[in-house]
Amino acid sequence: MNEYTQHVTKAFDQELSNLRTHVLEMGGLVEAQIRAATTAYATGDIAVVAEIVDADTRVNDFEIVIDDECAQVVAKRQPTAFDLRLVMGVSKIVTDLERVGDEAKKIAKGARRIHQRGQMPLPRAADVRHVSSVTVAMLRQALDAFARLDAEASHEVIRADEEVDIAFKAILRQLITFMMEDPRTISTAMDIIWIARAIERIGDHAKNIAEHVIKIVEGRDIRHPPKEKKA
Amino acid sequence: MSLPVVNALVYTLVALALALVAALLVSAEVGWVVFTLGLLLQLGYHLRQWTLLEAWSRQPAPENELGGSGVWYEPFSRLYRHERELRQQIAHWQSELARFGAAGQALTFGIVATSQGERIEWLNRAAEQLLGLDQRADLGQPITHLIRQPAFVAYLEAGDFAQPLKLRSERAGERVVAVRVVDYGEGRRLIQITDVTQAERLDQTRRDFVANVSHELRTPLTVLSGFVETLQELELDAAERRRYQDLMAEQSLRMQRIVQDLLSLSTLESAPPPPETERIDVAALLDKLKRDAEALSGGRHAISLEIASGGDILGAEGEIASALGNLVSNAVRYTPEGGTIRLHWQSGPAGAEFAVVDSGIGIEAADIPRLTERFYRVDRGRSRETGGTGLGLAIVKHALGRHQATLEITSQPGEGSRFAVRFPAARVVGL
Repeated sequence: MNEYTQHVTKAFDQELSNLRTHVLEMGGLVEAQIRAATTAYATGDIAVVAEIVDADTRVNDFEIVIDDECAQVVAKRQPTAFDLRLVMGVSKIVTDLERVGDEAKKIAKGARRIHQRGQMPLPRAADVRHVSSVTVAMLRQALDAFARLDAEASHEVIRADEEVDIAFKAILRQLITFMMEDPRTISTAMDIIWIARAIERIGDHAKNIAEHVIKIVEGRDIRHPPKEKKA
Repeated sequence: MSLPVVNALVYTLVALALALVAALLVSAEVGWVVFTLGLLLQLGYHLRQWTLLEAWSRQPAPENELGGSGVWYEPFSRLYRHERELRQQIAHWQSELARFGAAGQALTFGIVATSQGERIEWLNRAAEQLLGLDQRADLGQPITHLIRQPAFVAYLEAGDFAQPLKLRSERAGERVVAVRVVDYGEGRRLIQITDVTQAERLDQTRRDFVANVSHELRTPLTVLSGFVETLQELELDAAERRRYQDLMAEQSLRMQRIVQDLLSLSTLESAPPPPETERIDVAALLDKLKRDAEALSGGRHAISLEIASGGDILGAEGEIASALGNLVSNAVRYTPEGGTIRLHWQSGPAGAEFAVVDSGIGIEAADIPRLTERFYRVDRGRSRETGGTGLGLAIVKHALGRHQATLEITSQPGEGSRFAVRFPAARVVGL
């Protein structure tokens, strides 16, 4: 009997562990996608755009697989307390990650439009690069927080989102001035606005992920940090 | 019966003997009483030893001596010795372990030891820094949860570690690291991380350099082959033919100059360090520089030479003459007609300074740090027009660097520039 129950929990632990590994693997893929997309925008190396668009189907596949795994765990194990919060949190995080993948695709396509249009000085390119590096860092921190189940780091991610929002508004204002001064820049400036918007949305999704992590971690006795649970 | 058992029974036998004597001499009752008392005493004695052992077993530390008496003396002291030796051994192995741990921590490259499921068992400080991990918080965590780059995950999964993997470590300030993995059985792996940022940057510079050289040579070559084709295919009159030949000569001269400059750069790179005893006559050198400048200028600029104090330089005359000459000819070429060019020499106990001050077109502040890069040009068209190869200042910097001298550039766009060469005191003689 004892051997049997142990076996069951072990298998359950393994399932939870696989769930987290898959989420983080998907996260890694999405992170790489954003990096490639923002680099394509900054350097004009649009050869990678097709790759980024392709990677999105892999991200979507991950979403389906992980959702299915979540449903399996709930149906087979009826998880409670922390385990339940983890499963629920994972299914929400996956949705956010999938959207981040979509935003990365938008950035890549926008970069392709801008750079195909020709050699035109990119207004505010430096600002966009700065914001994109901040959001990439935010997403990384949010996923780190999920891996380490670290509520403290999650709070930092949430705070960083404000900075991104402010920077986005500043970019918007400057681009509007730019367009008013020289109408020939409008189409490029519009594309840059779409890119900046996508980056800002990625920041929001990173913040959502951080909030899910806090939900997973908190509500648990702090004397038994969930690290012991160690997926 | 073995000796310890006999020893243990001695008191029982004594009690029995006394009881028998009492029974014979007094009465059977007294005999029983004596026997019982004897046994009780013995029981008390053994109980006392038992309490000692009980107390010690709760805290079997080497400082708490376990002292038994009589028959208990031997087994107690053996037990105590055994305990003490065990503890000594544990302490010994602990210090050995700590020593190995410290050695691992002191390694300059990163090490992460993982067990089944890529879980982090141990990592050193360098790994912490290079990968942005946390030595305390991340133990037991699968490494792929933290280093999530798809390339890394795929590399670990594929299990083919013949080639190291190059990875951009995002958490450590965009450093480039090379990852090597060694399997050492039972699903355990040792992941070695080395910082290759510097090598990567050098590689990049080299690739850029090769690309630049090819580009610089291709441009005149294209022109040249274009003219060759024209000459071959078209019937041209003598004047046109002559014009094309002149242009071809100009382009081939350009290529020659580039190759010449590249050769002098590579000579500078591979040459032995410049002599520290050979004295260069600065006054004569400056005079020659001034005459060369005047010849190049053809009377379009006002050129002056000021020698504030004497002093000569120790080093390779050819290198110094070509470096300073380069600065002077740059000044002539980038100063519009009617401008002034001032050559200035000053030396003192802190070293010597040669400066070329012109009233030329000046340089934007953003361009100044990149001026000495190979093939860097502020204004491509203009520089070619004036016959530059894009290597001049790179050669200057290199030649000066070999003499521990530095090049300092200050400039104001539209107003002029000042190129100053500072020689260290050790290179200056004859003050």
